Amino acid sequence: MRAEAQAGAAAAPLLAARGVSVHYEGAISALEHIDFDVPQGALVALLGANGAGKTTLMKAIAGMLPFERGEVTAGEIDFDGFSCVRAHPAKITRRGVALVQDGRQCFRSMTVEENLRAAALLKPARAREMTDLVYDYFPMLREMHARAAGFLSGGQAQMLVIAMALMGQPKLLLLDEPSLGLSPVMVQAVFDAVERVHRDLGASVVIAEQTVPRLLTIATDAYVLSRGTVAIHAAPSQITEDELQRVYLS
Amino acid sequence: MLGLQLAIAGVATGSVYALIALGIVLIYKCSGVVNFAQGAYAMLGAYISYFMLRLHLPAVVAVLAAMAIMAVIGAATERLILRRMLKAQIVSVMMVTLGLLIFFRALCLAVWGPDQIAFPQIFPAGSIDFAGVYITYNYVAAFALATTLSVAFLCFYQFTAIGLMQRCTADNTRAALAIGIHVSNQISIAWAASAALAGLGGALLATLGGLSLTISDIGLVAFPVIVVGGLDSLVGALIAGFLLGVLEAFTEGMLTPALETVLRKFTSIDSVGALQQVIPYALLVLMLLLRPQGIFGRRGVERV
Repeated sequence: MRAEAQAGAAAAPLLAARGVSVHYEGAISALEHIDFDVPQGALVALLGANGAGKTTLMKAIAGMLPFERGEVTAGEIDFDGFSCVRAHPAKITRRGVALVQDGRQCFRSMTVEENLRAAALLKPARAREMTDLVYDYFPMLREMHARAAGFLSGGQAQMLVIAMALMGQPKLLLLDEPSLGLSPVMVQAVFDAVERVHRDLGASVVIAEQTVPRLLTIATDAYVLSRGTVAIHAAPSQITEDELQRVYLS
Repeated sequence: MLGLQLAIAGVATGSVYALIALGIVLIYKCSGVVNFAQGAYAMLGAYISYFMLRLHLPAVVAVLAAMAIMAVIGAATERLILRRMLKAQIVSVMMVTLGLLIFFRALCLAVWGPDQIAFPQIFPAGSIDFAGVYITYNYVAAFALATTLSVAFLCFYQFTAIGLMQRCTADNTRAALAIGIHVSNQISIAWAASAALAGLGGALLATLGGLSLTISDIGLVAFPVIVVGGLDSLVGALIAGFLLGVLEAFTEGMLTPALETVLRKFTSIDSVGALQQVIPYALLVLMLLLRPQGIFGRRGVERV
């Protein structure tokens, strides 16, 4: 596992964040000089307690910070030769970054099918094919295609937003605590789907979670954040539950 | 026969109310701004149409050109003024739109003066005989145009790619950004479309009742319309527009004369004034008391 992570890092990474600092409202520091790499085809686990900076890092990559009064105040984020700092989030999405945000952000007044159609506007050419693919990944969505997204359960809505992220055929999929508030069965289903996406579509994936043992068994690389800095960067096999507890409680 | 006559006149003006209310709902859904300047867009559209017609352009060209200019003015309002107020409080934003209304009125006053102007005849003179009731072509055309455009717009909103992006932006900005929709462009489009629709509505009102600054008062009637229909429902705005138009016509043509007859008989009161102007607001108050979200408005489709 460790050798694999190192071999991936040797080639030019798909995403490279160097010395990234983020402040909210010009004052509150959320990230301090973070270095964060996602090699091509990697599945990176991004761990950390509440408020460690996981969500902020993902929003910085996807360009969503200006909408939350946040700003990248130092450093550079390079995605596939494109600078994400100060770029419009729609542009970053078009380049191939898909962010599955916290709070299951879908279009609640629209049907599941319309949600998927909207998500395919980015790449309409393969919309049909991608719809079949995500229905194959999440058969539940096919059954509920005519239902308003606002009436889905938490787990179903999580499936929908992941499916929406896939419709744009991303090169990099960012998932912000996808298992939060889900039943163990649903968590299982979400991880199965993510693993399949990673394997079959060849997309690089970053999953932010507080603690999920399953994540460390499928990840190829792991970062642990603490108070806005990288506390640990190691192969997932090297990270133990005890070590996590120590970082979280420090 | 009077009833039918009133119903037809009411439906015609109601269709124009609907057209203008549609624009207010569109802007509200997309950007959360309640636009008090909508009546000013209608007035400005009417004056610009008048200006174009005076250049001896064909009526179709003149009105289309006025709508295009209104679209630019709408988008410019959003880009230059409202976009800078994204983080401002909602009351400040409402005050700004109210200020725009006053500004545009003053502008038209300065350019075209305070007097009512006879609007050039753009529809053929004459009338058609409908079940024994004579309806002038002006009313027929206003109804046909306003209704066709409203329905066409609803179809556009429901069935095209840009319509879908509009609905996404209206539903959830964060989710729209995440799937690559340029949200601020969508808001500009909403303002442009809304001002163009209002501009046409204003021109139609001018064909029915002449051209003056009072066309901007339509903005105030449009608010009861959207409160009754539901602030976030386009279909609601359409139906409530017709409802209010008909109600006003019946009040003016039947209720007022009947009331005045009774009052004259038993009291020394001669007139009840323009009662039809009170009706929309009476309905507004009633609606806010009974069903604040309007007939078609949502409380939010949400599983909590």
